[in-house]
Amino acid sequence: MTAIAQDLCQFLDRQKVWTDPEDLYAYAADAIQYFARGKPDAVVLPHTAEEVSKVLRYASKQRIPVTPRGAGTGLSAGCTPIQGGIVLDMKRMNRILEINRGNMTARVESGAVLGLFQDMVESMGLFYPPDPQSQEVSTLGGNVSTRAGGPRGVKYGTTAHYVLGLEVVLPDGEIINTGGSCVKQSVGYDLTHLLTGAEGTLGVITKVNLRLLPLPPIHRTAVIVCESLDQAAQLVSEIIARGTVPAKLEFITAAGIQLMNATISPPLMTEGEAYLLTELDGSLAQVEEDTQKLRELCGKMKAMDLRIIEEEEEAQTYWKARINLAPSILRLFKKMVIEDVTVPRDRIPDFVRALQNISSSLGMIIGIGGHAGDGNMHPTIVFPEVNETEEKKAAEAIERIVKTGLELGGTLSGEHGIGLHKAPFLAWELGDAQVALLKRIKKAFDPLGIMNPGKIWPEGGAA
Amino acid sequence: MGLEQYEDQMLRCFHCQLCLAVCPVYLEDLMETCSARARLGLIHAAFVEGSLPISQRLREVLDRCLLCTRCAQSCPVGIPLDDIFAAARRLVREREKPQTTADEMASAMKQRRLYGLMKKSVSPPEDSQQREEAIHHSPGEPFEERIRDLPAPPAFTRSRVAYYVGCSTNSLYPETGEAVLRVMSRNGIQVVVPEGLVCCGMPAFASGDLDTMVEMLRTNLSILAEQDVDAIITDCTSCGMVLKTKMVQMFSMDNELRHQAEAVSGKIWEATDYLNHMGLTSEPSPLSEPYTYHVPCHAGWSVSVKNAPRKLLQEIPQSRLTEMTSPEICCGAGALFFTEHGELSERIRSHKIEAILETGVKTVVTQCPFCRSYLAAALDKVTVMHPLSFLAKSYGE
Repeated sequence: MTAIAQDLCQFLDRQKVWTDPEDLYAYAADAIQYFARGKPDAVVLPHTAEEVSKVLRYASKQRIPVTPRGAGTGLSAGCTPIQGGIVLDMKRMNRILEINRGNMTARVESGAVLGLFQDMVESMGLFYPPDPQSQEVSTLGGNVSTRAGGPRGVKYGTTAHYVLGLEVVLPDGEIINTGGSCVKQSVGYDLTHLLTGAEGTLGVITKVNLRLLPLPPIHRTAVIVCESLDQAAQLVSEIIARGTVPAKLEFITAAGIQLMNATISPPLMTEGEAYLLTELDGSLAQVEEDTQKLRELCGKMKAMDLRIIEEEEEAQTYWKARINLAPSILRLFKKMVIEDVTVPRDRIPDFVRALQNISSSLGMIIGIGGHAGDGNMHPTIVFPEVNETEEKKAAEAIERIVKTGLELGGTLSGEHGIGLHKAPFLAWELGDAQVALLKRIKKAFDPLGIMNPGKIWPEGGAA
Repeated sequence: MGLEQYEDQMLRCFHCQLCLAVCPVYLEDLMETCSARARLGLIHAAFVEGSLPISQRLREVLDRCLLCTRCAQSCPVGIPLDDIFAAARRLVREREKPQTTADEMASAMKQRRLYGLMKKSVSPPEDSQQREEAIHHSPGEPFEERIRDLPAPPAFTRSRVAYYVGCSTNSLYPETGEAVLRVMSRNGIQVVVPEGLVCCGMPAFASGDLDTMVEMLRTNLSILAEQDVDAIITDCTSCGMVLKTKMVQMFSMDNELRHQAEAVSGKIWEATDYLNHMGLTSEPSPLSEPYTYHVPCHAGWSVSVKNAPRKLLQEIPQSRLTEMTSPEICCGAGALFFTEHGELSERIRSHKIEAILETGVKTVVTQCPFCRSYLAAALDKVTVMHPLSFLAKSYGE
């Protein structure tokens, strides 16, 4: 038993502390594991906020880095323990504590799995919209820490829009409760939303209060077939401009559809160059009206086809295929980097053209496919081979994508967070004064700099 | 079948973690080390990179897997995780020559499957009462002995099939074999039962004894390839999985048996799926007894097999299927996994039992004999049977 394990076992059950090399290996990375790995010195699986508090008190005393972890599905190396120390795996704190229909809110432990929570609220006729595509496994605490979102962002926003209150363990072990369960609050600085998206650099989220909506009665999935990427991009801007707000509006290329056809049943013909996969929701009258508007717009803009998927079972295969799409790229390529730059919706056509230019000038494949309805295009750089030349080209592509996005009035990240991956670009968006202010805030919360060090800004986290 | 053939695929894991949502072991342990994703990474580190030693903890992580294949079924990249895990177990095995119950069984089956062997070997011999509880089975002679009194071939024949009788049907559930013969015959399907077939190799696969598995496949292949039949049916989803999806890849491209294996595997059908394919010509009598369907993990080699019992039993007038919550969750048996990981298996099973009891029905149908015996051992007033036994019942057989 290592020294750190011996210490931790003074106040934790042995089944909650793991230090075998195999366990440390299993917790070294998130879903961009090629980019950064960091072996922790111990993995701790707490069951209560009090246990988290004890771990943080110990870590503060010993100046040991602590990295909280949800399901490890992140796309920014946010939960990678790059400076070693303790990984706090929150997934055993997975209880759904309350669903309050009268107040339309819920209270959960931070390790609760998003998909299971959604199943539960939907079985009660309620709705929790945020849908990062890792929803079958990702945790609500992880979602809050990265402001995770997905296809429904276009109509319903991301996790941040649903957080009403948090229970957080501060680095010194103090447990605080921010916000509450009121749907409106105005009490001084909004710590709830400062800790939301903080990627575990300020404290450890142990409980979350969330806002719920009524479940829309009707969902309708449709596919718009477009002859070019440009046409699809124009259509997205037009759909938004005309005041139709689909629940989901996804931009997918023909290559993407080909991959998705492993799951779509029956498979979709790939006669167009780009596709918009959309879901309309609301009352029957609303969905009918939106369908009609969509039909008129597709006619006017000469889309190749508008296909309404009538069968619910068939529609489900499209959305399951969408979940599988990103990982399934590795069926064809050896490596990929998913970008998260987001642009204003009226600049999507410009962004798509710029991406095509970057792709052809560097001679590399950049997949385009994302939540176009909210401007979150997820340009994806793929590697046919992994070697120094490809890595160099990819690094250049990422820089140019980020610059282009910012020039168009966009932002570094729509829903993945900064982590380690985007840290080098943080100052490009925020400027030095804001970064300096962030550092002062960090210091106020975490004077010893033990919380998830190395994240958000280069060498970040050091207070 | 060696690990080296999977090296490229092993590097394609995106770390999407979707396997965590379906892995029965992870869902109990709630610890990433015991997930398919981590197991894959650890195998790469230990056996390909050599950056981790083959430690006791690594062996534990390798063993703590039911080979239920649900991770492989859900992997968006299509990584053959179960094949990789079996190949890694083989490498550990080569170092250590372990002797587990599963190993003893695999080697006994290689000779010839033996009546009573499973009953004797699946539970600790020192405690006979516990043994009786651990495994549930039908008393009486094995199917091979009963087969002499089989029904005569049907009067009119729509197709002719060879019936691959698995070890469990032969030893534990001979009445399933009888139900298969009767139902097929009633529906104009002539069944031949080839002699000399051995175990499909699944237990050997699970313990990483791939050489024994190949030996078994060779024996079976040589017999099955000679059958002049339209199809080869099996009532067991695991035998079906091996013969349909694993057999071909066990023979390398340049092996002369490869073509033969491809031809035979093309003819393999799970029995209820085959009946759906052919359609029933003999109309079942009404049977309103409500039932629920547990989907065996190893039915996952085809969507059609997973749904086949539902579709087939719908043909029974007044048939009443009451779906349980999460019918696809593993029962915890994992072939012989439960003999080595009793406590874990029981925890996995408890969710399934809860879901079954929640339906309030008294009959569970499922194709897999291991699921049947493991579930039956924990169910008091609920009968677990093969879907074809249920159909046979509606025929008044």
